[in-house]
Amino acid sequence: MRNGTSAITVEGVSQAFGPEGDPRRVIALESASLAVERGELLCLIGPSGCGKSTLLNLIGGLMTPTTGEVAIEGERVRGPLPKKVAYVFQESALFPWRTVIDNVKLGMAFQGVARSERDDRAMGALSAVGLADFAQHYPAQLSGGMKQRAQLARALGLQTDILLMDEPFAALDEQTRMVLGEDLSELLARTGKTIVFVTHSLVEAVFLADRVAVFTARPGRIKTMISVDEGHPRNRDFMTSDKLGRLRNELYELLHDEIRKTMGDTRP
Amino acid sequence: MSGERLAYRLVQIGFAAVLLLAWWLVSRNGYVSPILLPSLTSSVHEFVLLLESGSYWPDLRVTLYELVMAFMIASVTGCIVGYIVSRSRFSVRVFDPLFAGLYSIPAILLFPLYVLFFGLGPGSKIAIGATIAFFPIILNTIAGFDYVDRSYITAARSMGASGVQMFWSVMLPAAFPVVLAGLRMGFILAFLSILGSETIASLSGLGHKIVSFAESMDPAKMFAYIFLAIIIAFLLNATVTLIEARVRRGHG
Amino acid sequence: MSVGPGLARLGVIIGLVILWEIGVRLYGDPLFLSPPSQVVGALWEILGNQPVMRALGTTLYELVVAFALAVAVGLPIGLIIGLQRFARGSFYPIVLMLYAIPQATILPLVILAFGIGPPSKIAFGFTHAVFPIMVTVVAGVQGVKPSLLVCARSMGANRSQIFWNVILPHMIPSFFTGMRLAMTGDLLGVLLAELYVSQAGVGHFTRLFTESFEPAKLFALITCLAAIAVLLNELCRRAERRMSRWHE
Repeated sequence: MRNGTSAITVEGVSQAFGPEGDPRRVIALESASLAVERGELLCLIGPSGCGKSTLLNLIGGLMTPTTGEVAIEGERVRGPLPKKVAYVFQESALFPWRTVIDNVKLGMAFQGVARSERDDRAMGALSAVGLADFAQHYPAQLSGGMKQRAQLARALGLQTDILLMDEPFAALDEQTRMVLGEDLSELLARTGKTIVFVTHSLVEAVFLADRVAVFTARPGRIKTMISVDEGHPRNRDFMTSDKLGRLRNELYELLHDEIRKTMGDTRP
Repeated sequence: MSGERLAYRLVQIGFAAVLLLAWWLVSRNGYVSPILLPSLTSSVHEFVLLLESGSYWPDLRVTLYELVMAFMIASVTGCIVGYIVSRSRFSVRVFDPLFAGLYSIPAILLFPLYVLFFGLGPGSKIAIGATIAFFPIILNTIAGFDYVDRSYITAARSMGASGVQMFWSVMLPAAFPVVLAGLRMGFILAFLSILGSETIASLSGLGHKIVSFAESMDPAKMFAYIFLAIIIAFLLNATVTLIEARVRRGHG
Repeated sequence: MSVGPGLARLGVIIGLVILWEIGVRLYGDPLFLSPPSQVVGALWEILGNQPVMRALGTTLYELVVAFALAVAVGLPIGLIIGLQRFARGSFYPIVLMLYAIPQATILPLVILAFGIGPPSKIAFGFTHAVFPIMVTVVAGVQGVKPSLLVCARSMGANRSQIFWNVILPHMIPSFFTGMRLAMTGDLLGVLLAELYVSQAGVGHFTRLFTESFEPAKLFALITCLAAIAVLLNELCRRAERRMSRWHE
């Protein structure tokens, strides 16, 4: 799983919104630095507005940092890298006017994959997430969990090394989240992809991640990195283990005050 | 049919029956001048004659021609200009209120100017039809392209879509339902305004025919054409609804 | 930010007016087109012209009376249909069917029935305006969230109290929307009838200026009418917005 070269490096990255000197200027991210190893699943967790989604967008090339540098496999990131990085978003960004399989194929069309290859790759991706039978359905006919699986299939179909996931399970109920989390862990073990995963859920972060980056309240800095020494695929045994409980509590302690700060709670 | 629904239907049928009965009685007993209200029987008779003879065709053809031309002009200009305006937030903020404001002026006021300029022929009707249909089309086109869900655009960008791909695969399908609604409204408004303007000043067309029979004191024939115009309006509306439904179904 | 959108819009309008002026002066036939400078002059003339001003006054009168009648008739009928289940099931489809009839077809009929004076214009404006009011009032009454009604009943309100304290206030924003739409219809109906045939209203003068090929005066008159229309529409829109402030 690990072989020493970093898939993603973030060095001293800051992101500010609004022109300098403007009192409304928002500093979303301040001097963030980290390195993500190949085949690692890194979770970003923190209170609302702490910049974790911003960092994800910076890694994916959807934004350029105000200061600092982001590099993927040694090369500086200047824009979207559809061949290296695939996204899964929180709101189902599936196009409602296309069937599921057409949605999966659309990404490939943008990438320039040959038409003849697209069908096989798409069906492969859909099978990997267990949606092969729903290829001809429209997104409106799918449940929330299935929509997110379809988005995942679209990302997998692009056959990138890196997967960026922005709270993909946030709109789903807890039970669905648990099941999808297990599926994701199993997928990671099988494919060895590098995944950066943004979440609000403490349990989800500990269950999925090899490491967890804990953010402070805005302006967001990386407070700590927590290691979860546990192999993939992880299953229900890990979910009910003491180790997970301990790590979750550790996260809670780290985050509690940051969350209160975000809510404008100035009580001691 | 449930008892309640049956009761409703009975009331509606009864209403229509009472209306027709009143019409028949009133014209039979001469309570209302036959110049204003011809007898029910003579109106129906003239209507049947009209349908059989097909003499409505030349005027119907003119009206439909005006409608098609007006709609084509309005939809092409409306969609193209609307799309161009929607491309930048600034131009939307400049032009959208401008068009919305113009829309609040009853465009029928321009008709006398069009008659002055184009004369009494189809030209003035096409002009007013196109003018009136233009506004819902352009406003809806601007709205449709302006409000494409950000998440679709972000997703497509993250997948590396080029500008052209972005337009055909994302913007157009996303904006389509709203634009279609605008086109539909424009079509209906064009028809109504063409009918109305034919009534005011024209040498041919369905509206003109209604007026000419009113002026020549031939109310039965006038009613026949009124029936015909109402049926044509109904048919057009049903066709448009059908097309819209069919297109939406293919849209997913 | 260099130029705000409002300023840019003004610029666009001024640019178009200049284009109009130059275009017509260079290419336009004075029999058919008038540059804006002439229109302004004609406007001045018209405003001092007694008969034209009287005609504008008559038209305004027709608009107001038609609107008032539409509200007086449309509101109660809309309430009855909205509240009474049987009336809704039986009569509402009839109302909708009548609403769907293209009223341009019965314009000559209305003139025949009511004559060429103001009453026919009022009647035609009325028929255009009454339907939006009925439809929106019905929708407003129907649209009260059942949870609100349940809540009121649980607090022991009787039917009359529910009507005055829950249904009526809830219906008000829809009613004002209906009035805005009714004003649009009213304008369309009255103007259509005026342009068709008119003795005392503006239609008489639009016909006069058209037939005597005086585009400047025609445009000036249209501008006056447009101003009246915009004013009335704006009044209705402001009223609607004021009444809808609490609405989600």
